[in-house]
Amino acid sequence: MAQPIHVGMADLVVSKHPATLVTLGLGSCIGLVIFDQVSKTAGMVHIMLPDSRDAKNIPKPGKFADTAVPLLLEELAKLGASKAQLRAKMAGGAQMFSMPGKSDSAIFGVGSRNVEATTKMLAAAGIRLVASDTGGSKGRSVEFSTETLKFIVKTLGTGTKDL
Amino acid sequence: MDNISEYTNIHMDAIREVGNIGTGNAATALSRLLGRVVDMDVPVAELVPIYEVADHYGSPETHVCAVLVRTEGEFSCSLIFMIDEEKADLLADLVIPMDISGMDAESRLQIRDSALSEQGNIILGAFLNALAQITGWVLPTTTPAVARDMLGSIMDLVASMFGVIGDSAMLVKTSLHIKELDEELGGTVIMIPDPGSLETLLAKLGVL
Repeated sequence: MAQPIHVGMADLVVSKHPATLVTLGLGSCIGLVIFDQVSKTAGMVHIMLPDSRDAKNIPKPGKFADTAVPLLLEELAKLGASKAQLRAKMAGGAQMFSMPGKSDSAIFGVGSRNVEATTKMLAAAGIRLVASDTGGSKGRSVEFSTETLKFIVKTLGTGTKDL
Repeated sequence: MDNISEYTNIHMDAIREVGNIGTGNAATALSRLLGRVVDMDVPVAELVPIYEVADHYGSPETHVCAVLVRTEGEFSCSLIFMIDEEKADLLADLVIPMDISGMDAESRLQIRDSALSEQGNIILGAFLNALAQITGWVLPTTTPAVARDMLGSIMDLVASMFGVIGDSAMLVKTSLHIKELDEELGGTVIMIPDPGSLETLLAKLGVL
């Protein structure tokens, strides 16, 4: 197995086979992987917030769903991925704390808004989302390997899922 | 000033002083609750790029327990008290007046979470009381919310909350230590001002 590449907050990493991309401890953020199984290219991004509208500057486009998805597609294309073959898998967007009456507030609802915005960006780009594990109240760690094309999602307390 | 990264030493000193008084208050409150000596470290206030927040407090996969309260009004912010999960349970057991070792795991968890939410509430409430005394503001708190999760996942949310304002997080790191125990029970208080609130606070403190 390839040495895992750690994708930190707002990081965007693309790689050719063989590669293992890892993000530890997603909370409200999204771990999104887009891959082309023919050219064996894959990219992962750790999205923090739904949209960049109010941002004054954007030093890391991976931070926002609306800037992360287009850049990830662009970087994958540079590596030789074919757009028609691209598929996406994602996990994250948990609501870590619940407070009565506040679940849709700016702070507590950020996870679900991240999921919504990322899903919308994928749909707009015509990328098929083939697997996802989102929402809930628990954090996740994710791992994607270009070898198996499996997206392994680990959730504290409930174990591991292969997506 | 719309970007936290532009803060200077004067601002950081003012924030640190708030942290200092807040933590002192919290230590006193916790000490009274537990009937034990509670020490505090001198708070550190620092600016950290939000992208590094996850690694700032330790390994992202450490299991922690976090209690969150919010205050909304003249000054709006979220406050989090975070402690390693096994230490959290030791802390909880100090105030649980019965033996819960024979209970099933789910009941134990519920009783401990309830104790922790109360302890977190006291610590964070004391922190906010100090802030209220300094500023003259009325700072009502919400009921506490408890989460048990990976450190990285809690900090992921914290980074996102700061990320709405910019690319820096202002972390006030304070630790409480309970004496007379075999094990040191250290916890951390994190204050996350809502967008615009940090300026409100600094203006009130006379340094903006």
